[in-house]
Amino acid sequence: MECDDRPLVPVAATIEKRPGAPAQKLVGAAVALLAAAFVLYPVYYLFQAAFDVGDPNVRPPEAYGLDNFALLPNYSEIMLNTLGVAVAATVMALVFGFVIAWILTRTNVPMRAALEQLMAVPYYVTPLLGALAWALLGSPESGFINQLWRAAGAKEALFDVTGPIGIAWVMALFEGSVAFVMISAVMKSMDPSLEEASQVIGASRLRTMIRITLPLVAPGVLGAAIYVFAEMLGSFSAALVLGSPNRFYVITTAIYQLVSQYPPRLPLAAAMGVSLFAVMFAMIFLYRRITAGRSYVTVSGKAFRPRVMDVGTLRWVLFAVCAVYLIMSVFLPMATLLFASVQRLATVFPKPSNLTLEHYTTALSLNAVRSAMGNSLLLGFLTATIGIVLTGLLAWIIQRSRLPGRNVLEYIVMFPQAVPRLVFAFGMMWAWLVFPLPVYGTLWILLIAYLTVFLPLGVRTISGVLVQLDKSLEECGEVCGASWFYRMRTITMPLLRPGLIAAWLLIFVASVRELGASILLMGPNSKVLTPAIVEAFFSSSSELTAAMALIQTVVVGAVMLVFLTVSRRAARHGA
Amino acid sequence: MLASPHIEVTDLVIRYGNIAAVGPISFAAEAGKQLTLLGPSGCGKTTTLRAVAGLEQPVSGRIRIGDRTMFDGKAGINMPTEQRGLSMVFQSYAIWPHMTVFDNVAYGLRVRGKSAGEVKELVGHALDLVQMSAYGGRSASQLSGGQQQRVALARACAFSPTVLLFDEPLSNLDAKLRGDMRIELRELQHRLGVTSLYVTHDLEEALAMSDTILVMKGGQIEQAGPPAEIYNFPRTEFVADFVGSANLIRGRVRGDLATGDAIAVETRGGQIVYGTAHGRATAGEACLSVRAVHFSLGRERPAGERNIWQAAVHRSVFLGDLTQVHVTWGDREVVVRQSGMQLWEDAQPVWLSVDPRHCVLLEPN
Repeated sequence: MECDDRPLVPVAATIEKRPGAPAQKLVGAAVALLAAAFVLYPVYYLFQAAFDVGDPNVRPPEAYGLDNFALLPNYSEIMLNTLGVAVAATVMALVFGFVIAWILTRTNVPMRAALEQLMAVPYYVTPLLGALAWALLGSPESGFINQLWRAAGAKEALFDVTGPIGIAWVMALFEGSVAFVMISAVMKSMDPSLEEASQVIGASRLRTMIRITLPLVAPGVLGAAIYVFAEMLGSFSAALVLGSPNRFYVITTAIYQLVSQYPPRLPLAAAMGVSLFAVMFAMIFLYRRITAGRSYVTVSGKAFRPRVMDVGTLRWVLFAVCAVYLIMSVFLPMATLLFASVQRLATVFPKPSNLTLEHYTTALSLNAVRSAMGNSLLLGFLTATIGIVLTGLLAWIIQRSRLPGRNVLEYIVMFPQAVPRLVFAFGMMWAWLVFPLPVYGTLWILLIAYLTVFLPLGVRTISGVLVQLDKSLEECGEVCGASWFYRMRTITMPLLRPGLIAAWLLIFVASVRELGASILLMGPNSKVLTPAIVEAFFSSSSELTAAMALIQTVVVGAVMLVFLTVSRRAARHGA
Repeated sequence: MLASPHIEVTDLVIRYGNIAAVGPISFAAEAGKQLTLLGPSGCGKTTTLRAVAGLEQPVSGRIRIGDRTMFDGKAGINMPTEQRGLSMVFQSYAIWPHMTVFDNVAYGLRVRGKSAGEVKELVGHALDLVQMSAYGGRSASQLSGGQQQRVALARACAFSPTVLLFDEPLSNLDAKLRGDMRIELRELQHRLGVTSLYVTHDLEEALAMSDTILVMKGGQIEQAGPPAEIYNFPRTEFVADFVGSANLIRGRVRGDLATGDAIAVETRGGQIVYGTAHGRATAGEACLSVRAVHFSLGRERPAGERNIWQAAVHRSVFLGDLTQVHVTWGDREVVVRQSGMQLWEDAQPVWLSVDPRHCVLLEPN
């Protein structure tokens, strides 16, 4: 070994007085404060508005009280609607999720791997597209399915997708894929030897299923149920598209109605928002309690190869079950939108003369659409890029740093998950109206809103990769003498690359398709695409809407493809 | 070669929340020597090591390396890990999977701003040292466990650190490789003359490699000393048991039979066992520790007067290099390990004997 007479590190006396690494602390504190301000500032104003009982045009409020909440019982019908839709949708979504998770993890269904990949697609189709498509398929008069039904000789409509059950159905189709991911994770993490032990002792398959399997997966399924229910309570787009035209309101669409009507009833809307927030917060809290405090050892962090049951020819039936779900949630909606978008007037039996591409040319030539598209892509790009830096640092601070208060930070960062985006946007609207910087009605407020509401998404995605990295990989760099920035650049960032790429894509897609926050916060000169699609649905034709929705889907898909190709190439060149 | 500094830890206390994990403990590692922290899992040995590295923050106490203070609870000094100028081999090896072997080993040199030429030369030296020169261009994710271990070692040594920390570096290797690496590591340590702190739960590893061993239990030091001292003269029941299984013989001290360091203990069954006090104070009740290998068994009564008893074989178990014989002696059972292949039948009467020098008095609990 080479000898070296120089000291290996700077002389001790000059640095001994400096406690900790200042760069890390400075950056950490700045990021934490920024995130906390983004989250807490609007929440504060939401609460302020909810308790404001003075003249709503005077700010700050003249008087505080509970009057706004006292009005809520007048809207008990809306509460019941919300509850009914959410319960029905949760039950359906759980059935979809549980059945398909069981089929794909525990049986020898054909094309298992492909089906499992496809199960992520409904998430990308989004409830809004699903609702637009199902409106075309299942509205009582003109819905394609009901047209076919009548053509077959029936008098009545087969079903009505604009009613509560229809809305719940559409919501469940898309939340079903979330339930699937959660429940199949539980099933996959169950040690198969627990079941084998039961059978070796002499229990039958059925007995094993009832006494061992179900109790073991029950906490995981319950957790999924609560999570899905909370999501359903706060969901907005399906109820907006399907319900509001015939005056069927749930709490989120009612809030939107109260804010956007003239004159707006902001304090009442805020009180509704706060109530919804309180319920969702309790749900999420319960969910975290159930999943965190689980004493069952089913989730051991290890991935087991679950025992696969040979179900004989029944496997084709099970395959059909999965296929039907995917057709209902992905292929049928997309095909419907495509089918409708190339007709002058959408009908299930088009004449050749009815076929046209004019909706596409209209959509692409409309100035409003083009600027909205440009704005959406710009915002998506900025949100995703700034977002991965912000959430990457936050995830690192929460998981790895020794900074004080990082547990509190985690709660703050995960906060937006418990607030429907529409409600959050309401708080932001209220907050930024009085903020000295003129960001209200510009793209800036949308950027801030997106960055805030997608904090949990980014932090969760990156944390998921971060916790799998052996901590000593970073510690070793520390011991080798590398500074915090140097370690971040040479060790942490390269190792986190898959997580950062995934987070970028998720945030980008989520931003471009964001509806709940955008619809409240966009101004006349800062239109974005998804609310523009909804506007087109209400004020123009559903054919034009279908064309716009498909254009959005194609553009988002193209950007994802380009990003993935570029990042792969960059990885290959070691950049 | 830069002179290796000594490490001095004084009244160190480490807590996790309200739970005291370590301390207060004090110890010193001599310059250029290896000090081993030995103990069962959860005894605080790794936590102590990580505190020296700066990866855990102690509550109070002082850590000094050479004449530099790394941590001082009172003065509020806590030097960041990267400025402590030491090096460490991790239990998981922590080989960076996104870099080549060369880049892994070069890391510490590049951090120190060495020129490309120097980096190349020093990495070459370090890889030679662990016989991995042929693997420089290999991606780190293509290495076997043993190879990763060597790369981790080369990386830790490449920038000529004067202090090396080892956190159970051999525990993930299979038994054969572990035996080889033990000797290699010891030689390397001698050749480089670095001061090392080594953490392990493996007795043989500790005995084979250390200049000094600290046996830890529940965050406290049970005994400190050179390997032979620890093995031959365990201080407490815990050390006697943990450092190679020992037979513990309890009884009443017979002051009338004692002469100087030689003592005698009468068991409840009435047998007189002669032993050595090793300078420790004798009290009314005493406990003697006898290593399983120090007992002898024979069909004939051996010559001599002291520490010879009649007993019976309870069961004998063939272990390969050794035969372990469980012997019923009065109302207790003792475990005897013998080299060779002499097999004993169950219930066979035998003469059990032991040299009084090997019956070591333990300190009272």
